[in-house]
Amino acid sequence: MPLPLYYFLAITAVNVLMAWALYLPYRVGHLHFITVANMAISGYSAAWLVMSLHVPFGWALLAGFALGGIVGYIVSLFIGDAPTFAVVIVGFTFIYITRTVIENLNAVGGTMGMFGLPNIGGNPVAHRWIILAILYGLLLLVGFLIHRFDHSQLGRAASAVFVDKDLAASLGVDIRKLGMQLQTFSCTIAGGCGVLYGFIYRSFHLDFFTFALVGIAMTIIFVGGYATMWGSLILAPILYGVPLLFPPAIQSWRIVIYGGLLILVLVLKPEGFLTRRFVYSLESFLSGIRKKRKTQ
Amino acid sequence: MQVFIAQVINGLSLGSIYVLLVTGFNLLLLVAMIIHFSYPQVVVFSMYIVWLVLRATGNNLILGILAGVVSSIVINLISAPLFQKVMKKRGEVDINSTMVLSMGIGMIITDVLSHSFNQGLPIAFPDTLSSDAPILRIGLISVLTGQVWSLVVGIVAVSAFFLLLYRTRPGRAFRAIAEDPNGARLVGIPLLRTGLYSYALSGVLGGIIAVLLAMLLGSASPGLGEQVAHKVLAVSIIAGLGNLAGGLVVGLFLGILEAIVQGYISGTWSDAIAFVIMLVVILVKPKGLFGSKL
Repeated sequence: MPLPLYYFLAITAVNVLMAWALYLPYRVGHLHFITVANMAISGYSAAWLVMSLHVPFGWALLAGFALGGIVGYIVSLFIGDAPTFAVVIVGFTFIYITRTVIENLNAVGGTMGMFGLPNIGGNPVAHRWIILAILYGLLLLVGFLIHRFDHSQLGRAASAVFVDKDLAASLGVDIRKLGMQLQTFSCTIAGGCGVLYGFIYRSFHLDFFTFALVGIAMTIIFVGGYATMWGSLILAPILYGVPLLFPPAIQSWRIVIYGGLLILVLVLKPEGFLTRRFVYSLESFLSGIRKKRKTQ
Repeated sequence: MQVFIAQVINGLSLGSIYVLLVTGFNLLLLVAMIIHFSYPQVVVFSMYIVWLVLRATGNNLILGILAGVVSSIVINLISAPLFQKVMKKRGEVDINSTMVLSMGIGMIITDVLSHSFNQGLPIAFPDTLSSDAPILRIGLISVLTGQVWSLVVGIVAVSAFFLLLYRTRPGRAFRAIAEDPNGARLVGIPLLRTGLYSYALSGVLGGIIAVLLAMLLGSASPGLGEQVAHKVLAVSIIAGLGNLAGGLVVGLFLGILEAIVQGYISGTWSDAIAFVIMLVVILVKPKGLFGSKL
C-alpha cells in the first residue's frame, strides 16, 4: 500500500474517532476537550510501556483505553453536570498541564518526544495493515455503539438534556449520571486513539497534541453536523483529504481554511451539513424502499 | 523576602492586565451575550499591529499605540455581525455557539500570525516601548517602566470603566441589558446599538491591553493568545461568569500567584502549578466563587 494512502486512511479514521469522542458529550451540551489531553496521556504511557518495559502492543493499547477511561471518569465526577464553558476550560487546562508534565519528563523524551517505536507486525508493511485493521475495527465498533445509543432511550434523554436541562430533569433524566457516562466513554475512545495515533507514525511528539487538533475535531463535528454521528464520518475524509490535493503553499493555510469554514457554517447553517431531520428523512426513505421490496 | 516582594510587584502588574482582559471579556458577555473566547487573541493580533507600525514608522510610539487600539476596535466590530447572526439563527441567546464561533476566529488569528508576521517567529518590541531598565532598584527588588505603566494604566482604565458603568447613562443601559434584556428593550434602550458600543468599548480596552502587554512582556508569539485566552476564561469562571468585581479580585490574585510560583519554581513547572490550582478551583466550584451574573 502506498505510504500517502496509508496515512490518509489512518489519520482519517483517527479524526473520525476523535470527532465522535467530542460528539458524544456534546449530545448533552458538553464540549469535552480533555479528549486531546487523554490522547497524549494514554499515548505516551503506552509508548513508555512498550519501549521501557517491553509490554506487548496489545496490552499497551488496552492500558491506553483503560487509562483514558479512568481519567475521564475521575474528572467527570466533578463536571458531569457542569456548564459547557466550565467543561471547556477544564479540557484546556488539562491540555496545558499534560503538555507541561510531558515536557519535563525525561522518561518519555521530554521536549524531544519518543522515536523508534517498534513495528507491531515485525515489518513496516505488516505494521501498517495491523494499524489500519485495528483502527477500522474500532471505527465500526464505536460507530455501532453510538448508532445504538442515538436510537435508544438514553439517546433521547441526551437530546432532552441538550434542548432543556430543567425539562429533562423534570422528566426524570439523571443529568449528572448521563454526562458522566458520556464523558467517560469519550475519554476511553480518546485514550485508545492516542496510542494508535503515535503508532501510526511510530513516534510521539508534543506537537501532535496541540490546539490545532482541537480545532480540527471541532470543525469536523460542527461543519459535518453536531446533531448526528454521520456528519463527522463524511466530513473527516473530505476535510483531511481535499487540502492534500492543493499545492503545499495552500496546504499550510489549512487551519485558516478550517476556521473560515467553521465560522461560515455556524453563521449560515448552524446545525451543520448533515442535520438530524435529513438523516431521519433518509432513513425513512430507505426503509420505504425496503418495505416496497418486501411486498413485491 | 526580597524575592517575594519582587514577585508580588511583578504579579500586581500582570494581574492588572488580567483584570483588564476579564473586564473586556465580561462586558461582552453581559451586554452582547457572547463568550468571546478569542478576545485575548484579538489583543495579541493588536500587539502584532503595534509592532508592525513601530517598525514601519521608525518607532513612532503614538502611531503604534493608535494602530493597536484601532485594530482591536475594528476586529471587534467586524466580528459583531457574525455573533449577532449566530444568535438570530438560533432564535435565542445561545452563548455556547458564540463560544465556538469565537474559537473559529481565534484559530484564524493564531494561524495568520504564525504565517504572515516575522515568519512565525516571536516578535520583540523596541526599547522605546519595553525598556528593561529599572526605574527603582533595592537589592533584588527592581521596578521596571513596563510594570509601573501596566499597573497605573490598569488602575485608571478599570476605574474609568467602572465610572462609566455606574455613573453614566450609557453605563446604565449596559447594566440594564445585563440585568434583563427584555425589560431594557421595553423601556426603550436600543439593544443592537448598545451591544455595538460594548464591542467598541471592549475593543478600546483590547488596544490598551495590547500596548501594556507589549510593554510588560517585551515580546509576543502567535501562541500567546491561546494561553492568555485560557487564563482569562478560567479567571472569569472562577470569579463567576459576568461578575465584574469578582473578576477584579481573581484576576489580581492569579497574577500574583503566577508570579510567586515563578519566583520559586523553575519556569516550565510554574505554569503547570498555576493551572493545577485553577483546575482544582474550577472542578470544586464550576459555577464560580463569587456567583455568576448570567
